[in-house]
Amino acid sequence: MSAGLALISHSYRRVRVLVLGAATLLVGFQILLCLAAKTAQELNAFGQLSALIPEFVRQLMGPALISLMSFGGIVCLGYFHFAVVVILIGMGITITTEISAEIETRFVDLILSRPLARHWLITRSIVLFIAASAFLLLAMILGTSLGLHLFAPADVFSPTLRLVRSLALNLGALIVCWGSVTLAITSFARRRSVAGAISGLLALATYLFDYIAQIWKPAAKIAPLFPFHYYNALQLISASGLPWREVRVLLCFAGAGIALAYLQFTRRDL
Amino acid sequence: MPPDYSARPAIAIRALSKRFGRLAAVSELNLEVGRGEIFGFLGLNAAGKTTTIRLLLDLLRPDKGDAFILGRHCRKQGLEARSLIGYLPGEMGFYGDMSGRELLELFAGLSAGEVRKAYVEELLQRLEFPAADLQRKLREYSTGMKRKLGLVQAFQSEPPLLILDEPTEGLDPLMQEAFYQLLFDVRHRGCTVFMSSHVLSEVERVCDRIGLIRRGRLVLQSPVGEIRKLAARTVRVVFDEDVAAVPDFLPPGYEILESSARAWTVRVNGPLGKLIQALPGLPIRDLEVSEPRLEEILIRYFREEGR
Repeated sequence: MSAGLALISHSYRRVRVLVLGAATLLVGFQILLCLAAKTAQELNAFGQLSALIPEFVRQLMGPALISLMSFGGIVCLGYFHFAVVVILIGMGITITTEISAEIETRFVDLILSRPLARHWLITRSIVLFIAASAFLLLAMILGTSLGLHLFAPADVFSPTLRLVRSLALNLGALIVCWGSVTLAITSFARRRSVAGAISGLLALATYLFDYIAQIWKPAAKIAPLFPFHYYNALQLISASGLPWREVRVLLCFAGAGIALAYLQFTRRDL
Repeated sequence: MPPDYSARPAIAIRALSKRFGRLAAVSELNLEVGRGEIFGFLGLNAAGKTTTIRLLLDLLRPDKGDAFILGRHCRKQGLEARSLIGYLPGEMGFYGDMSGRELLELFAGLSAGEVRKAYVEELLQRLEFPAADLQRKLREYSTGMKRKLGLVQAFQSEPPLLILDEPTEGLDPLMQEAFYQLLFDVRHRGCTVFMSSHVLSEVERVCDRIGLIRRGRLVLQSPVGEIRKLAARTVRVVFDEDVAAVPDFLPPGYEILESSARAWTVRVNGPLGKLIQALPGLPIRDLEVSEPRLEEILIRYFREEGR
């Protein structure tokens, strides 16, 4: 157990600066969105913003567009903005591909020549990426709260803490899911670049596929096979409750990825 | 302290095989290393040395066969087995942004027992590793410094078995000497050393026994002294006066390599008695006997592999 903790502590020291940097970036982004929402509110610019959106995107978004084009909608954008999703998934990939890096550099030979069970390498990555994801989401919630405290006009509808929490939880489930998928890929890989590239490209492809599925019926049938299908932030903003079914499905994906990673990593040659 | 061969062996390998696709990296390998001995594991590149070591550490899973470390099965009792090992890999995989101190602390934390700080300091001192350099990042280290640090991390937990893959690679002659002394000291305390090496003079100097692996098979396993006996010695006979050029009375096993009026050089397989008996009446001034070097013998084995 103490050897496992020593390994977690070692990896934590390696990623802490990166996680803190990402957290600072995300807090800043949430505050910035609150400021942008305040400015749009003061200029009454939501109508103009809607006009800038292409027709097919409007059709794609449907009534959710109305929810988005408001003070609360702009504030919530921080929980499904492409850049935010990229940062969070990128963080998950960085942490969970550490095993491939250790295999690639042969550092794993030194680690596992000690009385340390192999599963600790996977367990270490799971502990760290769940902790890092939770920390980043908490930082985002803090950023939103701070931004609202500083910039929310008194007479507008602000997103409730419950809504923000629901968005963060659903996003968190999605990030944990991708981390687990990456971990499963990593457990087969010998190079960090290969594991990272496969996972990153897969995330991008499925992200885009989920959008395509909303306008192309054949794709819609396959879309439920991919994690992004289970994170519909716009619907969440309209409905305002945590979609437990989606969270459960994402956590099932995560469980399967983790199980595969454990199974493969304990059997393979290093 | 002489090696204790009677106890359960430090390393026992039984019919161990490992393939990578079509390549048989290790085939039906059988090997025993007694407690307290220094065993040299030799072979050319890609002969199967590192694969064998990685099988012992359970980093690779064998297709067939078993391996035991001090009686513990390397797979089924892997944690117990590895708690008894100090390991120095051939290729040191480090993170360049870690400091030397962080690395030693990490591996102390991963070790089974407590690591004595005084012993770590002693190791650093013996390998002339300045304490101040431990604060530096590993990317700033020279090859030799990385090797020394690797040796310290392998020795620091005072394990009963050391597995060292090319331990003196990158060390200067002075540090090689310091390393040999370290080996003799740990062996004196009962530690077993299993080391792979390309440096045959080093093997000859420090090892009690050697094993030679060729294309994944063990082709030679013997005490270093015994191997020397297998090989021919060279005897130079110097005369006071001119003698007949080429003698034709030498018994089988003796071969004239060079002859002149005042000296002959003879290759002798086996005891020298018959040569002495064959020289009565000749004006012998001196006899120079050259013992065969292990290096010469092993190079012959290596050459056979090339064919």
